[in-house]
Amino acid sequence: MRNRASNTLSKGKIRQSWSKYNLYNMQRFRSPPTTNRTFFQQKWSAKAASRAYHGEQVREGQWKRMFNHRIRSVIPMNASDLAADDGSLVSSGRGSGLDKGGKPAYQTRPTPYTHMTFAPLERRLDVAIFRALFASSARQARQFVIHGAVTVNGQKMKHPSYLLNPGDLFQVDPDRVLYATGHTKTPYERRQGRLTRRKGKAQGLEGAEEAEAAPEAEESKETAKEETKETEKEDTKETLKALLAQAKSVMSAGKNTLAPQRKQELRGFQQAVRRVLSRSESSTVLADSLEAQFSQLTLLLKAKRSEKNPEKKDVKPRPEDAFATDRGDAELASAKKDTEATASDKLSEAFAQATLGNEVDASELSDEEFDTLKRALTQMRDNPLDNSKTYSTPWQPRQYMSAFAFIPRYLEVNQNICAAVYLRHPVARPGSAEVPTPFGESIATPAYGWYLRRRW
Amino acid sequence: MPPRMQSRSVSNTLLPYLTSTSSSSSSLSSIPSLSSTSSQCLSRQFSATAAPQAQTKLRRQMFEWLNNEGSIFKHHVPGETNYLTRLKQRGNEGSETPRPFPNNQHFISEPILSEELRNEVYNRVVEQKKSVRVVSVELGIDMKRIAAVVRLVELENRQRAQGKPLALPYARAVHEMVPTTPLAEKGERQTYHEPINDLPAHPLTGSQIFYPVPESRSFNRVEAGRVFSGAPAMEHSEAAEISHPSDLAEKIMEDPNSIGWVGKGANARQILQPADVRIPHPHLVAQERDRLAHPNERLAVADLQSKRLERQDALEKERRERLQARREKKTTIVSPEDSRFNYRIKDTIYTTETTGVDGRGSKATGRRYGVPHRDRTRGEVKVPTRVEA
Repeated sequence: MRNRASNTLSKGKIRQSWSKYNLYNMQRFRSPPTTNRTFFQQKWSAKAASRAYHGEQVREGQWKRMFNHRIRSVIPMNASDLAADDGSLVSSGRGSGLDKGGKPAYQTRPTPYTHMTFAPLERRLDVAIFRALFASSARQARQFVIHGAVTVNGQKMKHPSYLLNPGDLFQVDPDRVLYATGHTKTPYERRQGRLTRRKGKAQGLEGAEEAEAAPEAEESKETAKEETKETEKEDTKETLKALLAQAKSVMSAGKNTLAPQRKQELRGFQQAVRRVLSRSESSTVLADSLEAQFSQLTLLLKAKRSEKNPEKKDVKPRPEDAFATDRGDAELASAKKDTEATASDKLSEAFAQATLGNEVDASELSDEEFDTLKRALTQMRDNPLDNSKTYSTPWQPRQYMSAFAFIPRYLEVNQNICAAVYLRHPVARPGSAEVPTPFGESIATPAYGWYLRRRW
Repeated sequence: MPPRMQSRSVSNTLLPYLTSTSSSSSSLSSIPSLSSTSSQCLSRQFSATAAPQAQTKLRRQMFEWLNNEGSIFKHHVPGETNYLTRLKQRGNEGSETPRPFPNNQHFISEPILSEELRNEVYNRVVEQKKSVRVVSVELGIDMKRIAAVVRLVELENRQRAQGKPLALPYARAVHEMVPTTPLAEKGERQTYHEPINDLPAHPLTGSQIFYPVPESRSFNRVEAGRVFSGAPAMEHSEAAEISHPSDLAEKIMEDPNSIGWVGKGANARQILQPADVRIPHPHLVAQERDRLAHPNERLAVADLQSKRLERQDALEKERRERLQARREKKTTIVSPEDSRFNYRIKDTIYTTETTGVDGRGSKATGRRYGVPHRDRTRGEVKVPTRVEA
């Protein structure tokens, strides 16, 4: 199928996509005028606008067959209301309840039924993948399905038009999801990836030669050992200071920092941590869990958690989730909130003291410093630098993603494994409809009317 | 004729290529460089035609918006939503309902379960062995969602054990962008995630019916359901037995076959039951009624409720086992020793119900014997309608 779903500015159509063009189109979209236009024209333009968003990859005839004029809705029930009245109060008098000062016994908001016109399309596998935030557009979701990266209930499903049944579990390959939702690679990163690939190839060819050169490798190992011995002699305080400074620069590097520079910092921190950890007696530390690594690290550096920290309880620690993603965003957030701003101030102060001031005992760390170290370590493990990936590493969300990020209620998503369950069909309830649609009443109702046409 | 002055600018055909670099660079920086535009003006002082623009007006406007107003959407702020409606709300910075679409007032970005709440659900169901119904009422999460969460966490644990790749940074980012329902700290009351007692609107209730009832008579939900489904009014003795519609819920829980039928043959359908029966948690209504009846005896009410739930669980378990036993009785499973497959053999039931009047019903075995299925013809795409879990 040819992809005609481009985000043109002249047409200004809204698509199921996270592109910035789409964001701009969504922001400037106005409902088509109704004055001096026939009902047919109004319905036609409403249909055109809504079909450009809802299932533009589905042929019109196919969609017409899927359309159903009956729309699912629910009414949330209050148990105490049900217990207090068996229904006779509502039907008392002349059939609509006794009049009490002009107010009806039950007040309900209207249910937006026509916003649910395209509910049957939300059952499609490709649309559900897009709604679960696993792909950056419905077209991309469709491609993931066709390319065999999606399973339904553990079996590979190659049909994007598969209609999910309530209770179906679908899962997308995590690498594809990271690619779809992450930053694209910069030319520098692409080049680095190419170089490593080339190196890998060359190594594959020289595999036989390497066996001969084994003694040389041993020699280099010995030199490495010597190096570690040297580092052992170094003052642990100094190492800790350097490590903290590195961790700080890694965690605070903004968007403006050039990519190569950032990568160098990251790599430097990684090497520093390795160097410290290699001093430990157990040989498995580098492969151990994060907690073990962290405790080993602090042990080796003879770092203690300072006990005099009365202000710590006032500043509520941010949840672990807020850490270790985007450094630029972390900065933004810290600038936003007062409490966080003070925390970051304290942090920078502590670092300044740790790096410059001699009077402060560097091996006694505050909680924030511990946090920073731990955060940097977490990021190193969960979000490593890897140029062989198809997305920019360390992973960060693509630009403008947050403006499109919502997960409808009829899906239950586990982002860690990129799997989701289609719980039930979307429903309308008083005051809200579950089908995500960017259009208001003035488009939803005429579009619904258009598809009712055959039924009158 | 005086000598013509030669224009130093190149021909028009080349212009777009020459100016494209300067204008594209100006699009990147928010302020277009003055020097480049003025130099263009100088070089074109004798040209009557307007300079063709490398960027259309729309494109220029878009980048202008993206660099000024739209720049807030480029990166997210952890713990906050960042939707287009933020532009309008700027004046009154308040905690309004998060709406992703500025034109659609009826779509709300609902909160998702936080990581801790998800693990708590799994803990309560799998480790503490509480029933799904109880956990649903405790945490205010729909029963279907609880089942899904347990399934997903189990899958996650399995994948972690197998060392399969996970999308941890992505998960963190999504949880920062989308509103979440946190797990209450100890001693605090858990905020409800979603309404758990949703009553699905029945198609039968869509019609408007004129049904005259004497003003002196009380007309309750049970009777309304009968009117909607076209069933005759109840006998007085039968109606007198039901003091409140929620009595029916307990009766039906014990004996699901006690729901009456209307119509004949293919048109036969069950009588529409009152909302007290059709909601997912009918026991909550019974509990409220207990509370109304004994306002000062909280312990006794709680005791009654726990007994009711135990009884309901026992009944449901018994029913499930009975169904399973019946299913097993019907099928024989043959598993040959040197085979990968299990053969499930069922007896064919050849009646009008299963095969239809003409013997060609859709559920009949070997229907249209000798005639190939349509899906065997050329070019027919077979999209499965369901995948067995």
